[in-house]
Amino acid sequence: MASAGSRVPELAAKLYDACLTHFEADRMFFQEDLLGLGVIPTNDLALLVQCAQSLVDQKLMRLLQTKTERLAWKIIPREDAEKLQNLNPDESLVYNVIHSNGRSGVWVRAIQSRTGLHKSILDRCVKSLEGKNYIKSVHNVKYPSRKMYMLAGLAPSEDVTGGAWFTDGVMDVDFINSVAGYIEYTVSRKSWFEVPSPDHGRNKRLKTATGKSDIKEEKQYLPFAARYEGYPTVEMITSAVNESGITPVTLREESIVQLLEMLCYDKKLVALNNGQYYKAIKNPEAVKTSQARKPATVDDQADAEVMKHLPKNGMTEAPCGQCPVFNLCSPGGAVSPETCEYFDPWLSSTLGF
Amino acid sequence: MTSKFAAELCTLLIEDHFGELFACIFSTLQRYERLTLPRLKFYSRLTDRQVHHGLAAMIQHHLVYHYTSLDDGITYYEANPQSAYYLVRSGKIMHLVQDRLGKYAAKVMSAILFLGHAPISYLETLPELRSSKPMTNGINHDEEAPDVRNGDHHERPPLLHSTLTALASHGYIMRVREAHLQSPADNWLDAERTVSSRPDIKSLKGKKQQEAIVHETAELVAERTDGDLTRGLIFNGLPRGIKRKSGHSSGTPNKHARMDHGTVHGDGSGEEGEEEENEEQENDGSEDEDGYDTAPMDPGMVVRVNYPKLDVALRNARFIELAAIDASAMTAEVYGCLLRRIEYQTSRCRDSAEIPREGEEGEQYSAPIKLSAIVEDVDPQLDLTGSIGPMNPSQKTNRLGKRPMTNGVNGNDNDHEEEDPIDRTDEIDQHLRLLAQPPYNLTSLAQIGGLSTWRIEFRRLARKLRHLELETLTESRFGDVALRVVRVLHAKGKLDEKRLQEITMLPFKDLRQTLASMQSGGFVDLQEVPRDAQRQPSKTIYLWYYDPDRICGSILEDTYKAMSRTLQRLNFEREREKDFLEKTERSDVKGNEERYLSDAELEYLKRWRAREAKYLGALARLDDMVAVFRDY
Repeated sequence: MASAGSRVPELAAKLYDACLTHFEADRMFFQEDLLGLGVIPTNDLALLVQCAQSLVDQKLMRLLQTKTERLAWKIIPREDAEKLQNLNPDESLVYNVIHSNGRSGVWVRAIQSRTGLHKSILDRCVKSLEGKNYIKSVHNVKYPSRKMYMLAGLAPSEDVTGGAWFTDGVMDVDFINSVAGYIEYTVSRKSWFEVPSPDHGRNKRLKTATGKSDIKEEKQYLPFAARYEGYPTVEMITSAVNESGITPVTLREESIVQLLEMLCYDKKLVALNNGQYYKAIKNPEAVKTSQARKPATVDDQADAEVMKHLPKNGMTEAPCGQCPVFNLCSPGGAVSPETCEYFDPWLSSTLGF
Repeated sequence: MTSKFAAELCTLLIEDHFGELFACIFSTLQRYERLTLPRLKFYSRLTDRQVHHGLAAMIQHHLVYHYTSLDDGITYYEANPQSAYYLVRSGKIMHLVQDRLGKYAAKVMSAILFLGHAPISYLETLPELRSSKPMTNGINHDEEAPDVRNGDHHERPPLLHSTLTALASHGYIMRVREAHLQSPADNWLDAERTVSSRPDIKSLKGKKQQEAIVHETAELVAERTDGDLTRGLIFNGLPRGIKRKSGHSSGTPNKHARMDHGTVHGDGSGEEGEEEENEEQENDGSEDEDGYDTAPMDPGMVVRVNYPKLDVALRNARFIELAAIDASAMTAEVYGCLLRRIEYQTSRCRDSAEIPREGEEGEQYSAPIKLSAIVEDVDPQLDLTGSIGPMNPSQKTNRLGKRPMTNGVNGNDNDHEEEDPIDRTDEIDQHLRLLAQPPYNLTSLAQIGGLSTWRIEFRRLARKLRHLELETLTESRFGDVALRVVRVLHAKGKLDEKRLQEITMLPFKDLRQTLASMQSGGFVDLQEVPRDAQRQPSKTIYLWYYDPDRICGSILEDTYKAMSRTLQRLNFEREREKDFLEKTERSDVKGNEERYLSDAELEYLKRWRAREAKYLGALARLDDMVAVFRDY
């Protein structure tokens, strides 16, 4: 037994090296796998257990239990093992919990309930781990108020970051708008037939989708027939966006679908055939002009009016529809049609005198 | 309809059209509901004479219902807000009739509108309806036997009769029945009484009897209020007696050739506003030979305007507008032809009295129209090919979007009439298919007996119109972010903030601000779902939702209010300019403004007219909204 005991560190080191060479880093392995490596002489189970235990003690292996209560191990790289060896038991407990949650991160409360540590101890452990740069705090978009941690070396998963559209846990509006604008234009180019020779005079009865009949040279666009199937699909749009270079990261189809849905709600695109194809409502020219106008809308009221793509109705035109004190208005009252100060400006602005 | 602002608006409209006496009686009746004559006199503080005169005239204008109870023999009077409201729509109605059937028809319509209801024989005597055509006669028309047919133009104004026939066949006018003068509720009760005293109903028991009574009563009411004049005047799905001048018994070879097809061409171009000249040419001569449209109408018949039918026509005009936003002019024109065909077979916008609640409304398809019928209607001059792109864009065409399949080489566009008819059918089918596409799905295709027929999902489109109005309002009040939020909520139902944010892709801050301002504006609402009995806020789920029904209701009220405020403002300004206006209204000045008024005054008058027109225009635009929220 004593001789065997003296051989344990040596055998354990051998076992570790064999594991490193034979198993991938993330592979979970069982007793048979270890015996199969042929490091342990005569398949001595007791010896194997001792070796494994010594490796676990040195933090070179992680002991796991499968759902069927079988013991299993995972290998830990040496550099990580060194980190772990420097930790005190509480810290390593916390570290393991955080490690086990991988890229999705874990809430401080959850760590507390799983480790059973007191809050002050836990805080200290988290602080020291963070100080050693082993873990980092992450911002979860779903629970913005929760303090979450994950290993420093990991990138947060999509669930945590909220997908491609979030930067540091905040929705990146500019990014979304630029991609959305690009998509609308790209789809629009494929949803309208551009008349090859715009100098033909006989098309003047045609209207563009904007309803404007500008005399200046404007490209003519025609809708495709209903059975047309050349509208872009999600895959086409995704690859177009990724090739365009407007995104620093490669966007996945799910993210693009999310954006496309949003564009549909904006009535910029329509989904055909249950989302198989997307078609733009406006033709490329109209899309371009409306996007070019966008930055000016903040300070320019007139442009803001043009921006509105919906037709107006009686309520939005008449002064009453926009009146802030409409509810108070009654004949003979403090606010009354007789004393109304909105009618005159309305008349003079629309009649021009 | 009898809300505060609606009542106010109706009274204002009546005052505007008929003066103070009517308005006084009407507002009293609205305030106290049903009144007997003595009570009415008492409340309105009018003299006997005034009340009698007023009521008699108002009954003729259908502004007041009256009902004499069989039990006590007392006559009750009741306001009719529906027809009071329709006063505001008279301008639109005249415009529509003029578009469809020409100036003279509009004149006839205006005479009927002006009179409320009138017997045909009375219309014959009206000088303004005779003057349009030089008639050299001094004979009293009322002496004519009613069966005088066709031919002698000196004895009976055939133009009036053909126009009336045209109006009747389009369903724009209807026969007045006694039941029309009683309120719908009275009619129902009356009918119910009659039905339940019938022996076959009495023999039934319990629930069965109830059902039978309801069913039979509905039938009886429909029978009693039926004023339909289109029966027997619809021929092949088209109304007879389309606008034409008398004495033009034309018949060029071209027309006869078309007639052989058994079709009526040319009606489709009515919307272009090209007036009688054109249409007269296009009408086929068959009717003249058969003498349908010159068969006079019964002079004793009393006619009035058929508002429900006109609503259908106005609604169709609205759909065409909707189509024209995105589609080309040609597509809209094809759509117009389809809608016209459908209009002839649709007597009212919907079957139920109230607009059904969102989601509780079954689809009600319009009458299906055969593709071939539409093909016949579409103006043969209309160029259909240039407005749809080719199926395969890589295949370059030398013509403007002309699909290569039509004919690869024909460079000129003047020969459409010589085109293969099958090809043209296909073109029109293409246009209709284009309309069937989202987002509006303005048409829908149905295969009936192997034939392609097209129809309209009226209820869904009417709903769409309502939503568009609401969206317009949302955008103008809360911005385009709100528009997205509202659309998401409408499509998905109730959502909590997180999910809502995921779909709308808006930052929390913007989203919350928008939601809060919309909530205070009454456009969205919050539902609390507590997860425990204590209803703690931290353990409560908050769901945002959007209820179009409720918003429609409140916007409708707001619209009534805005209309009445606009009218009040106009009245106020009239009052302010009273002295000047009275001068222009003087009998010697009127019509001779140039002679009697100074340049400054003329300019002032011009401006005043522009202002007045602006107010009335705003009123008409608001009425468009009321129509969408209430009538379609």
